[in-house]
Amino acid sequence: MSQRAEPVSLVAAGVVTPFGADLDAFWSGLITGSDGISMIERFPVDDLRVGRGGEIKKLRPMPGARRVGCRATQLLLAAAADLLARSPISAEPERVAVVLGTALGGVGELERALAPGGRSRHAVGALYDSPAHALARRLGARGPVLTVGAACAAGATALGHGADLLRADVVDVVIAGGYDALCRFVMRGFDALRSLTRERVRPFDRRRSGLLLGEAAALVMMTREGATRGPRLGRLLGHASASDGSHIAAPDANGRGLELAVRSALEEAGLTPADVDFVSAHGTGTPLNDRIEAEVLRRSLGRRAAEIPVNSIKASVGHTMGAAAALEAVMCLLAGREGIVPYTLGLEEPDPACELDHVIGAPRAARPRISLSTSLGFGGCNAALVLEAVDR
Amino acid sequence: MTGTAVEAVSVLTGWGKGVRALPPDAARSAAGRAVIPLGRPALEGERFRRATRECLLGVAAVDALLRASETSREVVKGSSTALIYVTGGAYGAANHAWVVADTARRGAVAGTLHFPYTAPSVMSGEVAIEFGLTGPYGILIGGAAATIDGLWQATRLLESGRCERALVLAVETFEDCAELYARGRWLVGRPLVEAAVCALLVPGDLRTRYDAPRAPSALETRARTRAGETLACGPLIALALGREDGATGSIGVTGEWRGRRAGLYWH
Repeated sequence: MSQRAEPVSLVAAGVVTPFGADLDAFWSGLITGSDGISMIERFPVDDLRVGRGGEIKKLRPMPGARRVGCRATQLLLAAAADLLARSPISAEPERVAVVLGTALGGVGELERALAPGGRSRHAVGALYDSPAHALARRLGARGPVLTVGAACAAGATALGHGADLLRADVVDVVIAGGYDALCRFVMRGFDALRSLTRERVRPFDRRRSGLLLGEAAALVMMTREGATRGPRLGRLLGHASASDGSHIAAPDANGRGLELAVRSALEEAGLTPADVDFVSAHGTGTPLNDRIEAEVLRRSLGRRAAEIPVNSIKASVGHTMGAAAALEAVMCLLAGREGIVPYTLGLEEPDPACELDHVIGAPRAARPRISLSTSLGFGGCNAALVLEAVDR
Repeated sequence: MTGTAVEAVSVLTGWGKGVRALPPDAARSAAGRAVIPLGRPALEGERFRRATRECLLGVAAVDALLRASETSREVVKGSSTALIYVTGGAYGAANHAWVVADTARRGAVAGTLHFPYTAPSVMSGEVAIEFGLTGPYGILIGGAAATIDGLWQATRLLESGRCERALVLAVETFEDCAELYARGRWLVGRPLVEAAVCALLVPGDLRTRYDAPRAPSALETRARTRAGETLACGPLIALALGREDGATGSIGVTGEWRGRRAGLYWH
């Protein structure tokens, strides 16, 4: 039996998504049902089965950004600019940590390093932890700099690690979250796996046929409870991870790892399914993931599963990989603050095998205080977050 | 028991098996070689036929640990064992191969079976599959400082009751993309020594302290001198060296990466 963990404050958030360069654009895009999917223009995709994704078309110019060639780092710096505009860091540099989740790190730089004329800095930039260190330098953070490589569950695990650093009083502020940039490396990979759909992404729909990738960065500023005065977004109450130990690229057929992660996160939060008001599902739109995830949610939430609103935002912005869990955590907190739950774009005919209380067709008026967010990734990674929103 | 203890450490390096295989001076023993490679372990099983060398090295390191500590596979199997995996760049070989294959448009090579192995989480995933590990995980990317973070996370998981034992595994390979490491000379030392190292942490009586020391510990310096540049494997090799000296109780290890040094002390 694990101990109940001290809640951690989530003071503010900053994001960059296919909807635009800040939190307001992200939220309004979700609520209005905007579609962030488009043809990818930044690199060649003409030889791939699928050339669409959630590409960010324009980044705001930032001081010094011209020198940053790495796309992943550019996304992080853009999200950080949004975050710092909402809440400056008020701690000694040695007491500020950066903890980021990613599936790809700076791998786009590897493509540049191996291209004719590739430079040494591209080779170093290809290391998966390079973007996190670049962000730490930009923020002046001199505490721990951690990169969590738990694939598409990495953003959730990063928030969990960040909370642990605060609970142990290692630092006073953690900038945590996740990011990933679209590049040919990953588009070619998912194309080879036949995971990308030629149709619309339809999470939990009977016609679902696959996912589309997206790019984003999402950061939250975390502090210990009571350390910050003024408004805040909410609290992280619980986090847990669990391995499937069954397959390198597909979820466990019974969802054992995800179920353990959900149950453990609720236990760490000191809550039960009766306390959960909203579920932000991983909901990729792939036939296997959505069915298994729905089964896990029904098992772990019991009778409450039929009453708790569930959504997935992956049809709206694409599967943003390492950014996804952090982005979805931010969405949970905004839903609680604004009193409205975004709907699952593309979901029109729910698959009976995925039966849950899906938010379909239009946003739902609800003010979820306690949210559960689930994430899965390559290698059998499963993670869950339990979050508490704060009223506006 | 409210603390933790290091139960065992297994060490596989390009120099051989165990810390006794380490030379007194890695730089001298390398005799100008940039990389001291570690061969592909000969593991039986159809699944391992397609697995990358770094995955097999991870499996081999855990297997060596279980043998050395006389721990059966049944003991670690299940959700009570946490797996913390750390690497600075072992994913580099698979990533490099994927980009090269794509550039050459060799579709048959860059196919379904190859892409998942570019993800660092698949390396620990293969280990989890082989040993039936279904407990909490941590996957950290970085050099020696990240391993200190990983060790610390393992102690946190144990102390909070989220697991009954924790495997902290580090794997580093360099040979397949040595040319890239040659370009990043300011970041990594020489010689680059491939390694796969695993520590078993269990509940114990020792408390831990995690900090950011300015100077390397004596064990960090010794591990680097004897093993060479092993990135994330360094602190675990240092732990093994300390245990070889007879330190089974209080022990401290440090590790540095990209200008940041972290330390963890059992006392």
